[in-house]
Amino acid sequence: MIDTDMEEVFMETEVSLDAAYVPSEDIVAREIEGELIIVPLVAGIGNMEDELFTLNETGRAIWDKLDGERSLEEVVKELSIEFEAPEGEIEKDVMGLAQELLKKRIIVEVPEA
Amino acid sequence: MGPALIDLLRAVLDKEALFRFRAKGFSMVPFIKDDDVVTVSPLWGGSPGVGDVVAFVSPYSERLVVHRVVGKKGDHYLIKGDSAREPDGLVPRINILGRVRAVERNGKEILLGLGPERVLIARLTRNGLILNLLLPIWRLIRPIARRWAT
Repeated sequence: MIDTDMEEVFMETEVSLDAAYVPSEDIVAREIEGELIIVPLVAGIGNMEDELFTLNETGRAIWDKLDGERSLEEVVKELSIEFEAPEGEIEKDVMGLAQELLKKRIIVEVPEA
Repeated sequence: MGPALIDLLRAVLDKEALFRFRAKGFSMVPFIKDDDVVTVSPLWGGSPGVGDVVAFVSPYSERLVVHRVVGKKGDHYLIKGDSAREPDGLVPRINILGRVRAVERNGKEILLGLGPERVLIARLTRNGLILNLLLPIWRLIRPIARRWAT
């Protein structure tokens, strides 16, 4: 039987198409040589050795749209038009990346107004 | 370290967080060696002191350098690598981004070089005695010291 508190934690780390996400305040992100380098600040340390996260061109396109105003569903629709690719394919990429970023606390969900 | 990484370092320190990265070069031997991992902390509103190892942007090369403060003149700091032949010159306070608070080598923390002995090291560094005296002596006795240790 799953403990209720643990169940809540698991639920919080699942992304939702209806939700909007924004970069966490506990990260620093800079473009270096064409890639976006994200350094999470874990326990007050920006660790270039172990904790670095790099986004390629596709990841960057998704990242740039995580502005807290668009839901993931809207991000999928926009990218599908921009990349001229089926929404199903884009949705897999968007959800996969968002899930990973959320799990590492690089992005946070924006509460509904 | 190029301008983009310097910007990254500044951004991390501006958030009052520490910055941990791998050092490259030989100018701080024996206290910091090539590939050692250093952790830099913000100055937290204070100023570096003589003996502190600091991360700064060289006003001449505009690259990030990690060397030791060996003197101070007003709001400028005389900085030099422990085994460098020449000092980096007088560096304005505003170019100093943070202070090294830990050095790791092969997963272990190196304790020598950042503690109270750092003031003595700064004096030796300033006079070139690390490079011209202590390092040659150490290279001579290191094989003997290793044999004793085993």
